[in-house]
Amino acid sequence: MSGATIDSLLLLGAVVLPFIGALAAGLLPTHARNAAAWLAGAVSLGAFLLLCTVYQAVTAGGVVRLELEWMPSLGLAFVLRADGLATVFGGLVTGMGALVVLYARYYMAAEDPVPRFFAFLLAFMGSMLGIVVSGNLVQIAFFWELTSLFSFLLIAYRHHIAAARDGARMALTVTAAGGLALFSGFLVLGHIAGGFDLDVVLGAGSQIHAHPLYPVALILILLGAFTKSAQFPFHFWLPQAMTAPTPVSAYLHSATLVKAGVFLMARLWPVLSGTDAWFWTVGTAGAITLLVGAYIAIFQHDLKGLLAYSTISHLGLITLLLGLDSELAMVAAIFHTLNHATFKASLFMAAGIIEHETGTRDIRRLSGLNRFMPFTARLALVAAAAMAGVPLLNGFLSKEMFFATALTADEPLPLGLKLLPVTAVVASAFSVTYSLRFIHGTFFGPDPTDVPSMPHEPPAWMRLPVELLVLACIMVGVLPAATIGPLLDVAARSVLGETTPEYSLVVWHGLTRPLVMSTIALALGVTLYLALQRHLRRGVEIVPFLGALSARRLFDRAMVFLSWRLARSIDRVFGTRRLQPQLRLVVCVALVLAAAAAFVRGVGPGNIAPSEVDPVLAIVWAIGASCALGAAVTAKLHRFAALVMLGGAGIVTCITFVWFSAPDLALTQLLVEIVTTVLLLLGLRWLPQRKDGAGAQRRPLIERVGRLRDFGIAATAGVGMAALAYAVMVRMPPELLAQHYLARAYTEGGGTNVVNVILVDFRGFDTLGEITVLCAVALTTYALLRRFRPAPESVQLPAQQLDQIALDAARPEPRRGRLVADWLLVPSLIGRLLFPAIGIFAVFLLLRGHDEPGGGFVAGLTASVAIIIQYMLMGTEWVEARVRVLPLRWMGGGLLFAAGTGIGAWFFGYPFLTSYFGYVRLPLVGEVPAASALLFDIGVFALVFGATVLMLIALAHQSVRGRRATPALDATAPSPRVAVGAATGDD
Amino acid sequence: MTDDSPLGLVTAVVTGSLLLLGAGLAATGALGLLRLGSFYERLHATTLGTTLGMGSVLIASMFFFSVLQTRPVIHELVITVVMMVTTPISLMLLVRAALYRDRREGSREVPPAP
Repeated sequence: MSGATIDSLLLLGAVVLPFIGALAAGLLPTHARNAAAWLAGAVSLGAFLLLCTVYQAVTAGGVVRLELEWMPSLGLAFVLRADGLATVFGGLVTGMGALVVLYARYYMAAEDPVPRFFAFLLAFMGSMLGIVVSGNLVQIAFFWELTSLFSFLLIAYRHHIAAARDGARMALTVTAAGGLALFSGFLVLGHIAGGFDLDVVLGAGSQIHAHPLYPVALILILLGAFTKSAQFPFHFWLPQAMTAPTPVSAYLHSATLVKAGVFLMARLWPVLSGTDAWFWTVGTAGAITLLVGAYIAIFQHDLKGLLAYSTISHLGLITLLLGLDSELAMVAAIFHTLNHATFKASLFMAAGIIEHETGTRDIRRLSGLNRFMPFTARLALVAAAAMAGVPLLNGFLSKEMFFATALTADEPLPLGLKLLPVTAVVASAFSVTYSLRFIHGTFFGPDPTDVPSMPHEPPAWMRLPVELLVLACIMVGVLPAATIGPLLDVAARSVLGETTPEYSLVVWHGLTRPLVMSTIALALGVTLYLALQRHLRRGVEIVPFLGALSARRLFDRAMVFLSWRLARSIDRVFGTRRLQPQLRLVVCVALVLAAAAAFVRGVGPGNIAPSEVDPVLAIVWAIGASCALGAAVTAKLHRFAALVMLGGAGIVTCITFVWFSAPDLALTQLLVEIVTTVLLLLGLRWLPQRKDGAGAQRRPLIERVGRLRDFGIAATAGVGMAALAYAVMVRMPPELLAQHYLARAYTEGGGTNVVNVILVDFRGFDTLGEITVLCAVALTTYALLRRFRPAPESVQLPAQQLDQIALDAARPEPRRGRLVADWLLVPSLIGRLLFPAIGIFAVFLLLRGHDEPGGGFVAGLTASVAIIIQYMLMGTEWVEARVRVLPLRWMGGGLLFAAGTGIGAWFFGYPFLTSYFGYVRLPLVGEVPAASALLFDIGVFALVFGATVLMLIALAHQSVRGRRATPALDATAPSPRVAVGAATGDD
Repeated sequence: MTDDSPLGLVTAVVTGSLLLLGAGLAATGALGLLRLGSFYERLHATTLGTTLGMGSVLIASMFFFSVLQTRPVIHELVITVVMMVTTPISLMLLVRAALYRDRREGSREVPPAP
């Protein structure tokens, strides 16, 4: 069934639509509450209708499947696969989503940033749909983590509240960690089954059972499912997540997120179940969760907390059913999943209404609301009755089914014990008790005296979703076969196939044992509630018997240990805040690795004989080497001299490039040297001065040894680099990449400058990555310098600035800032004249780059040199009063332009960054070569220019800001100027 | 440039002597940099190489390539112009900085501020 049928495209639409909607909602203005709600509602309904259409096809013809190429080289395809189970779950996700959107529109306050809420909600819906209809294990894991992420964002929606942040973090930690386990489990499972496609996996059942890795896969996958579905012992995150806005709880914690784990277990039920391992893990976890959740729920005072633990308990029930390894139990599990979603979502919404109207959710403070909101009370009553399993409601039916399977299931327990029926009755009794508590504690009794606001009925539209859900509870409860019957049948059949058992969906089965059990449970529950009245009235927070056993406390301790103590101690052992040890470590690691590589693989002689030593070049190199040595020697005390000599070494490198006919490299090297030197010079002023006084007495031994060691490391690293370069230069592999480039530069890249063609065409993607990195580096430099606080001793103003200030204070206004201007009149005039010349030169380099030495990088550096000269000679304020460079726009524009050129190739049906070249006839000039690579190069140019100038400006502003930070001087000079070359012509 | 192109003796002599002259001037300047006493004196030494020395080398280059390619080659004029424009900037910056410092330190070698 591969290929794109209409139905499969509709399915794709249903998955993609919520994400598009999320993007659109995210772009709405902050308070566009109605627009966002309309959008979200329309998207949810649209996705729901699309799924309804798909459902028609599923009932008629089995499985709707869509396969798109994703990573064909890895054998991975993007597969959407909708069968009965997936479509029914998908309908639940989208339909419930639409109701929640309507509810949220009235629940959320007007001052909340609602579009953000709806954007997250829609994105979550899309991820959830993705899990449900994915036909590929890896894809399921991907969407699985997406749901963790978006649920985190939703729970932390009110991120200014600490509890919301903590709850969200805990939910994310638990579910995302489970997601990782799930992913590894999927990898193992895919390995066993021989493919990640769901159909392949589902078809490999016997193979999976027999495989020795089966337990590993099972445990890992169950870890994922249990964390998501809040099974014991991972249940603790769910109550914490109740800090989310109530619509989120109604959606995530009743119908969708927590059902993902259940869905997954049902999805993989045919291939994973049927073993003792499955029965014991799933069954035990489910049974414990069922009992413990229900028990704790009784003692909750927070309405949502009660519902949260009740949800945990019901999820345990479903898990237990899935663990029972009986087909009837499977049907019951699916049935109960649907039922639970309807009554629990409506109860959450009712709790939200109560909170919305009274301002509290504490059962101890609430009472007698029946008189104030009778309609809501009736709705909640029905939903709670469904939760308790009262006859004629949907909860009753699935509970009956549960009882029936509990009675018939095989229990491989010793001594022929039958624990399951007892568990079932006790848990049911508990659920009756907490349902009673929810209703009786909230709606009955005397009028509330302790609530923040006097309640009344909510807006009719806010009640509508609850009404619809409660209606569904009643309809399913009264006429199960006519309402839920077909859906359940399709869903169960898609999992069980031929083995789907006979089951009857009727309200009255006669006087059967399950009915007796139900009655006992109801009676027990009511009795328990009456018996507990006294205890509950006291309002104690601690749950009896289980108070000490807090999984949450264990989690918190583990988190503190991992993220605080362990991290601290590791940091203490391995970390350092000093630069020197870090550098030493980096260099040493590089040295060891390089030496190891040479040692392991061996170093043979090269296959090219070294050429004769040219005496002239040798002399030039001698100069360069002495410059480098001189720089190293003077670096400590005479930074300026060291910088000058570093420049000398750079020039020698540059000459070497020219000597060996690499004009492009030489040009680039020259400009890089210039710009680097200038930027370093500007930075020098902010380094603390070093005093030469300590040289007189001898240093302590340990310091000398340390220096000797550092010298050794440096010398070894330097010699190693030289040896490496030499080793590379004396060998010529038979298949040199360079030859390939040389041969094809013109025929395929359309340029005769091979270096440039490589940069902008053959390896254009690398260049794109590199300029992106450059962008990031420039921004980082800027960010670091923005917060830069210089050493106290270098905050002092230099002599020139002090003189200028004194002069300004002494002279009348028009002469302000003239001292340095007078000093540097001629250079600054010439410098200004040079600006256009250098600019033209930059453009020239850019345009000829494809065929002659030049290119975007060099051109960008050249243009930035033009700006640097202006800053140096005229001063920051003078330049910025006249030329606004806006480097961020240059950088952003350049990046967009370069990437856009690459994308442009798509429109002509070529891969990303394919370049086009040809000849263009211009008036007057004639025919000129034109390549789309030039456009790419223009992007590079703009980015390099912007990045360099950004760093320059960041440094230049230091001197302005540093001065302003000196308040004593501000008093004497209210409007200080930058003295390193101030205005000449502005007075 | 091809190796077997016959260069006239005149060309060789003219080019060679111009190059030697330029190199000699630059070497003299370098020597002066080493020998002269004060900063301001040393500054003069460097100008030998950048003005006349550079000029001789550029003329040699123009002459040589014009003869070699049998057409006027005058690219070097651009270099000359750029040199003429930029050298004064750096020298002037250096001198101004030195003068400023000397005056601040009250050195008696330099004239006081007007």
